[in-house]
Amino acid sequence: MQKYITLILILPLIGALVNGVAGWKLPRRVVAAVGCASVGASFYFAWKAFSLMGGPVNFKLGDWLSVSWFSAPMEFHYDALSATMALMVTGVSFLIHVYSVGYMKDEEGYARYFTLLNLFVSSMLILVLAANLPLMYIGWEGVGFCSYALIGFWYKDTANADAGRKAFIVTRIGDVAFGVALIWLFYFAGSTSISVVNEQAVGSMPVSTATFIGILLLFGAAGKSAQLPLSVWLPDAMAGPTPVSALIHAATMVTAGVYLLMRMFPVIHLSETAMAVTAGAGALTAFYAATCALAQRDIKKVLAYSTISQIGYMFMGVGAGALTGSLFHLLTHAFFKALLFLTAGCIIHAMKGERDIYKMGGLMTKTPVLFWCFLAGALALSAAPGTGGFFSKDLIQAATLAQGSAYFTTLWVLSEVTAFITTIYIFRVVYLVFAGESGPAPVKTPRLMTVTLVPLAVMSLAGGMINAPELWGGTQRLATILASQSLAGSAHVTHEAFVQAVGAFLFAAGVAYSHYIYAVNPEARVKRAYKYPGLIAFLNSGWYLDRLYNIIFVTPYTRLSVFLWKTVDEAALDYSFDSAGTGLAKAGTLLRASVTGRASTYILAVLAGAAAIMVFFTWSAI
Amino acid sequence: MVPFSHILILAAIIFALGAACAAVRRNVLMILVGVEVMLNAAGLAFVAGSMRWGMPEGQIFVLFLMAMAASEVSVGLALVVYLHRRKKTVDVDDYDDMKG
Repeated sequence: MQKYITLILILPLIGALVNGVAGWKLPRRVVAAVGCASVGASFYFAWKAFSLMGGPVNFKLGDWLSVSWFSAPMEFHYDALSATMALMVTGVSFLIHVYSVGYMKDEEGYARYFTLLNLFVSSMLILVLAANLPLMYIGWEGVGFCSYALIGFWYKDTANADAGRKAFIVTRIGDVAFGVALIWLFYFAGSTSISVVNEQAVGSMPVSTATFIGILLLFGAAGKSAQLPLSVWLPDAMAGPTPVSALIHAATMVTAGVYLLMRMFPVIHLSETAMAVTAGAGALTAFYAATCALAQRDIKKVLAYSTISQIGYMFMGVGAGALTGSLFHLLTHAFFKALLFLTAGCIIHAMKGERDIYKMGGLMTKTPVLFWCFLAGALALSAAPGTGGFFSKDLIQAATLAQGSAYFTTLWVLSEVTAFITTIYIFRVVYLVFAGESGPAPVKTPRLMTVTLVPLAVMSLAGGMINAPELWGGTQRLATILASQSLAGSAHVTHEAFVQAVGAFLFAAGVAYSHYIYAVNPEARVKRAYKYPGLIAFLNSGWYLDRLYNIIFVTPYTRLSVFLWKTVDEAALDYSFDSAGTGLAKAGTLLRASVTGRASTYILAVLAGAAAIMVFFTWSAI
Repeated sequence: MVPFSHILILAAIIFALGAACAAVRRNVLMILVGVEVMLNAAGLAFVAGSMRWGMPEGQIFVLFLMAMAASEVSVGLALVVYLHRRKKTVDVDDYDDMKG
């Protein structure tokens, strides 16, 4: 078991080392083979370890930090939660690595790309499998760095490098909160181990402390997972290569925040306030991002906002105590969102780099494979009954409704509205891109890219089988496994049939509505668009959140910097030092009048001085 | 056995000669020679003191003094060569740039 877990962790790291050190000299085929094989083997061992898992395994690989009262060893914790995550991370990563071989075929920096991708996978696995908080933080920062470097992969274009920096800085703001929570938890429990911290917290943590720590953790998670108020970086992160968007900014890294909250759930669960804030932030973000997705023209930005929105559901699930639902949605979302992104990558490739959905059309007959794959993803995203997204989303929504209070019922209503909007925005893309006849003729997509879509499409549609509800004759496997290791959270699900019926109805209504405005009566849509340009601009810019942050944070900071530079540094400091210098130079010129410049005079003066001192001492001796 | 005071008187005479040489001569090289003579006069006084009180420190001081004098001369001569290149002369009175 330990052998397998070590191999899962170390193989992608070896891949990154080989490609990073020697990749620039190796032929492209070898670089691609090393990149894919290391992650593929890691996936194989993750599968092996998963099938052998009996109970939680905790093992120490070696010492890392160790001072008398503080220790954070290289210790890993393998339980149902981390095992499922590791399996998903390696599986999706493997498919995306294979896809990348086709996608990046003609790009420069091939070895750099695969190095960073492998490094990302190993950091993500460290994050997921870490048994203590500092080690988890290493993985947390590692994925952040890889995300930064890959968003700015085409760094020669300043906009891409800026997007990378923005992602790095905004997530860093959240990381500070996570860091504070980490230190506070250590201060409280006297240990960095996650299980010890959780046990101690359940035993003796005051509710007020749990509230503060819970909200700090939420803020940290919001940075990584692009939730309000730190959501602004994810739409810009679409500047990176599409496989990167699929892997890091849809399937794996952005769910790290949810994973953190699930790991620290016993702490958060102590405080009702923290739980309510988590659920509220999630529901609000889900709604916010779904409305923004309605007005995007760039196909990748639609998917980016959609990701923010779906992660909002996961946060809501954690807030409602439905850990099973959140993890389930995390898994199904990883499959269908990776599928949607990879299909979008194929579409963009087929359209020779065009990303505006209004300039596409008629792809259904021209590229049927892409159509069916995208449709599979869209169905799962909009929670068509029977697909993976349907079961997972309904589990979260049912748990929220089951909380019973007016607050959670409001959140439930908001989430159902969001579900309706979700269906509209994704079918908007389906209709604009695939329906109709207009649009340029596509170029052929490499086979390696389309091949990887099929397993993801199957997983998107059939992903519900991971945890099919009893209502549909399923066995709830995921819930059973999680509950057996007491990781299932605190939710009790009631009204499941009611919530599913509402979900199915909203799905049908959403599809019918999009069909009407995008296929039956497009003129009315265009007319309406001309009627409300302000609203469309508002949604398109993400509720002007960027502009708001510019006014509140960036502009004052720039002003302060200019003040420090021009007034404090140049005017005050430089001036005072300059005038001290000129003053000394003037004093020197004045004193020069009193010297002869002859060396012999100086020597005589020195001798006279020495004689005077000797006379003085002799005198005082007598 | 030479009396202590005799050695001190000799050292004082040598020191005075060196000082006079350094103060009176205009040639940079001769000034350096004067400084060397003064240093060695001081060294002689040290050795005398060491002998008078039977303490080895005085002799150790002289060893340091020699090392210092050697390095001082090497730097000094290098400066003389440099000065000579600049003005083709070793007369100190020609180097009166500091005069206001």
